[in-house]
Amino acid sequence: MASLKRSLDSDPFAANISSKVYVRSTKSGKVQKIVREVYLRQDIPCSSKLCRGCLKTAPKDAAGRTLPFVLSDKPAGTKQFPQGHYLVPDTNAFLNAMDLFEQSSAFYDVVVLQVVLEELRNRSLPLYNRLIALTKSEDKRCYVFFNEFRLETHVARDEGETVNDRNDRAVRKAAKWYGEHLAHASGAKKAAVPAVVMLSNDRDNLRKARQEGIPACSLSEYVKTLKDGERLLDMIPETQDQDITASKDSRRSGGENLYPEFFTMSKMMTGVKGGLLHQGIFNVSPYNYLEGSIRVPAFPKALLILGRENINRAVDGDLVVVQVLPKDQWKEPSTQVIEEEAITKNENPDAEGEDFVSEKERKALQEEVKRTQSKTTEGHAQPTARVVGVVKRNWRQYVGHIDQSSVSKSGSQGRKQDSVFVIPMDKKIPKIRLRTRQVTELIGKRILVTIDAWDRASRHPTGHFVRSLGELETKAAETEALLLEYDVQYRPFPKTVLDCLPKEGHDWKVPASTDDPGWRDREDLRGLLICSIDPIGCQDIDDALHSRPLPNGNTEVGVHIADVSHFVKPNNAMDTEASIRGTTVYLVDKRIDMLPMLLGTDLCSLKPYVERYAFSVLWELSPDADIVNVRFTKSVIKSREAFSYEQAQLRVDDASQQDDLTKSIRTLLALSRKLKQKRLDAGALSLSSPEVKVQMESETSDPIDVKTKELLDTMSLVEEFMLLANTSVAAKIYEAFPQTAILRRHAAPPKTNFDELSNQLRVKKGRELSVESSRALADSLDACVDPNNPFFNTLIRIMATRCMMSAEYFCSGTQAYPEFRHYGLASEIYTHFTSPIRRYADLVAHRQLAAAIEYEAVDPSVRSRGRLEAVCKSINVRHRNAQLAGRASIAYYVGQALRGKATEEDGFVMKIFSNGFVVLVPRFGIESLIRLRDLADPEPQATFDAETYTLTTTGSREVTVELFQKVRVKVTDQKDETTGKRGIKMELIKAI
Amino acid sequence: MPLDTSAYSLALLRVDGRRWNELRRIHAQIRTQAAADGSSYFEMGHTKVMCVVNGPSEPGPRRGGTAAAAPGGGQSKDAEVAVSIVVAGFSSVDRKRVGRGDKRILELQSTISSALTASLHTHLYPHSTINISLHVLSQDGSLLAALINAATLACVDAGIPMTDYVAACTAGSTSTYAANDESADPLLDLNHQEEQELPGLTVATLGDSDRVAVLVCESRVQVGRLEGMLAVGVDGCKQVREILDRVVREKGRRMLQEGTVEKGVGLDEMDMD
Repeated sequence: MASLKRSLDSDPFAANISSKVYVRSTKSGKVQKIVREVYLRQDIPCSSKLCRGCLKTAPKDAAGRTLPFVLSDKPAGTKQFPQGHYLVPDTNAFLNAMDLFEQSSAFYDVVVLQVVLEELRNRSLPLYNRLIALTKSEDKRCYVFFNEFRLETHVARDEGETVNDRNDRAVRKAAKWYGEHLAHASGAKKAAVPAVVMLSNDRDNLRKARQEGIPACSLSEYVKTLKDGERLLDMIPETQDQDITASKDSRRSGGENLYPEFFTMSKMMTGVKGGLLHQGIFNVSPYNYLEGSIRVPAFPKALLILGRENINRAVDGDLVVVQVLPKDQWKEPSTQVIEEEAITKNENPDAEGEDFVSEKERKALQEEVKRTQSKTTEGHAQPTARVVGVVKRNWRQYVGHIDQSSVSKSGSQGRKQDSVFVIPMDKKIPKIRLRTRQVTELIGKRILVTIDAWDRASRHPTGHFVRSLGELETKAAETEALLLEYDVQYRPFPKTVLDCLPKEGHDWKVPASTDDPGWRDREDLRGLLICSIDPIGCQDIDDALHSRPLPNGNTEVGVHIADVSHFVKPNNAMDTEASIRGTTVYLVDKRIDMLPMLLGTDLCSLKPYVERYAFSVLWELSPDADIVNVRFTKSVIKSREAFSYEQAQLRVDDASQQDDLTKSIRTLLALSRKLKQKRLDAGALSLSSPEVKVQMESETSDPIDVKTKELLDTMSLVEEFMLLANTSVAAKIYEAFPQTAILRRHAAPPKTNFDELSNQLRVKKGRELSVESSRALADSLDACVDPNNPFFNTLIRIMATRCMMSAEYFCSGTQAYPEFRHYGLASEIYTHFTSPIRRYADLVAHRQLAAAIEYEAVDPSVRSRGRLEAVCKSINVRHRNAQLAGRASIAYYVGQALRGKATEEDGFVMKIFSNGFVVLVPRFGIESLIRLRDLADPEPQATFDAETYTLTTTGSREVTVELFQKVRVKVTDQKDETTGKRGIKMELIKAI
Repeated sequence: MPLDTSAYSLALLRVDGRRWNELRRIHAQIRTQAAADGSSYFEMGHTKVMCVVNGPSEPGPRRGGTAAAAPGGGQSKDAEVAVSIVVAGFSSVDRKRVGRGDKRILELQSTISSALTASLHTHLYPHSTINISLHVLSQDGSLLAALINAATLACVDAGIPMTDYVAACTAGSTSTYAANDESADPLLDLNHQEEQELPGLTVATLGDSDRVAVLVCESRVQVGRLEGMLAVGVDGCKQVREILDRVVREKGRRMLQEGTVEKGVGLDEMDMD
């Protein structure tokens, strides 16, 4: 019997083969031990342009190309390393100070070790992606060195050694090897060889490195030697600083822990599995920073989380695990407005932990309790919960400004590090404690900060400064702040994207000869009377329409959409960029395009009088606007005219205009009315949101006036046909790709969403809101009219809109057919097809439709379900952010337009609290809070009847305010000196 | 946890430190089980399989387990190649029981059976069966290739006349199907992680020639990339054949030295240097 056992010596390759053993746990909690082979080699280059030896053995890919060497032969020097240096950071350096590495003033020639990359990926995927992006950018000179695969730098884990220690050892070994390798390989004089500097914030690692003779620095030591070190020093996170100089702040380490400890991950997971704990996304109430809610799958209604202690360091958007509190601690959602700025205004950022829940917060809470206790009806109390652990932080970079009152007056002169508070623009985010040396420069600026940590001993999270955007209230700073806050990609298109544009640039034309490949399978529709109708000044014209009578009495209607997919091919740089941007963002004074200008406003845009490629949907409609048949084709069109809504309306209304074009618009208008009626009969909702338009001075583009948007028939005309096109396309692509069609759905809102509103309506107006179906809701919304108050119906619609779910893109394979329904439009199936210039989803739909009509082969990216799901997920977020950014921009400009003016306007009470109420002013589309203390000085006493939604004040001013009431308010703008924010301020003149 | 296959483009290194055109370490032995007519043991990286050949022999009473039987069974003019595969429960990370009737296993069996039937001179053994039983001890990708190689070696050991070695290996591509990356490199010899994440195929060729004996592709891949993958795979098969040949010759030399076989009995042409 032969033995299968081999002795290691007999194998000549044994020295070159190692293995990596690690343990991972699966989602279901199983623990797996994975053993992987590692092949050690000596042909992994150091990638320094100084090195000759590595160039010879540099690896080639299948096409015989080698990767270019990255690290400069003349790296920058510092005081400490005048001969120049390469950096070898360890994992913590990236984890804590990725912002530093992204700076353009320093941090070049960085060697990213494989062990660091792996560790970073395990710790934080977003940071990993940022690092990968860095290594791909050419000017940063970042090189990924696969130290684990190089024979000389491979490190096996010793017995009893922790993984961290092993990784640190690997970093040191690689740094040491690099130093020796360069000295040896470059052949230059010793003085000219760049130093290889290890960057770490781990004291132990630094000490060991120095012992071994490896040049090593902590982040702050290193940054201090740089030219603009002062500025960069602020970007080193707080916690790390403390780690290194641990004794400096002994008060903290000995300080009391303010927050309860988090559960361990395994305890949370077992709890969630057992149904005792619940996991969900933590949301903070926009009116009360001490009140949060969390939706968990186990309960139909959201759980409340009240108070600092229960919120336990969770920040809006975090994925947290909560525990339901006993019934005696159940409460009602607060009816009081609690703003962080007002209550914690006088806190001192240096003094921590003296008093965890401040007096004022306590007082606010007491009043809550009093109120709850005085309630006769106990049934109103809602279940509450407390956060026991955070599964995943959703921290990002936040835009804010320094709270001036938190700056200590004496210390602001020198270069001493100060602690200050940063108040984020997003009210749901708590104040962030920031340590900086440049307080004086930063006051009055919009700044970008990140949160680093929030430990148990600190009331507020700690963070570090990233960069300054500019003075508060300057247009550039505020716009950039907005874009950052909503994560809009606003940088100019990189060269790789612009390279994908047609070479001819603006001279590109539809080829004259119909034999050109561009004409393949395209229908020539240049003879049709096509026109486009858009808002004034629209440059990216997505859609155009036509109609013509058919001999059989029916009408042919065509919707022609810009053929963007002809120019944007799948998977090239432009497509990738568009999929990241997801949508064009419209701000008041600015448009952030999804596609480069050349395409968006010229080549794709269906401009009048020129020939353009289009994707057409052609219907035969009966006189009752029923679809007789529909077909889809790529085409070439020539738009006859680009109307604005107003022009089109005038032309239709003007009976003297009898040309064919006008007649065809009239036909379209008549058909669109029928289509709309059909939709409404099917139960489509007409919802509302306060929309206004800011008028700008044409030259200075300063806002001068605010107008509410007018509704014209021609708008509804365009809308109806776009809806029809979208629905027809959705059905077609679903038929062709049942698993992978990109569709849009709008889920029916849960009934509980309307509880509050329907109760308010019942009490105040005696109306019932039935929410069984969209039809029932539409009918009951129609019935909500107040003859004395024509705006009342709109107000209810606005409030109802806020109870709805948001519509979302999805991939058809992920939902069952009944779930496809678009609730708001009462359509069984729906997608977005009509705006490919400004929405990525439409572009995908175009590709799918082109494949469905066999115009072109199916691209794998529009067939792969996993990829489509990722696209849907990302564009859903982008879409929402774009909307929010647009609204925030309008709000900012409305504020600017009102600057220095005071006007009296009508408003409506749309929410009421025990110490204030929210008024909506339709003229400006703004809503603002009026607090009791704004009514008069001293603050009047008030009684709040939550049953009837009435607030009655007595004392210094006597008014009664009810929900839905019409009020007269004075609107002024006001700059809050402590916060540096300009906001709308409303004063109540009288209740009508 | 290590990086995934998308890191290839950073430094042209695969997840285990290989280049695009490198095989894993291959270790092979023949005549590992003296009692059997032919036997072998084959390793490609961490994929480890054993093979035992019995026969050609008169077919015994038919059992349900011997699938992939050629039509006619023992009555036909050619020998029947019956392949059975047993996957050990401990062979992969998760301890899973694989039943005899598992569809994947049945397909592997029939693929191997038909590949060997074409290469073995089955017409020399009418009315008989060649029983090949394969045992999978450890799995780390390229299972089919390892099984084919092991079966070839065992058949050589059993002394069944055959046209040439059937040598197999896998090939893949560095980017996924959906990524549709034109500049993707072909890859040779996929391990488990690469097999999970990337498109791949198994190819087996006959001896030194470019004649493809087996080609199995179960993943989606652009046609444009297929040619490169196939070329790399065929090239890999040649390397594998070299290794198999070396193992066989080495064993032959050892047997001569040990006097297991008489000198000059049909071994004259064997290269003894």
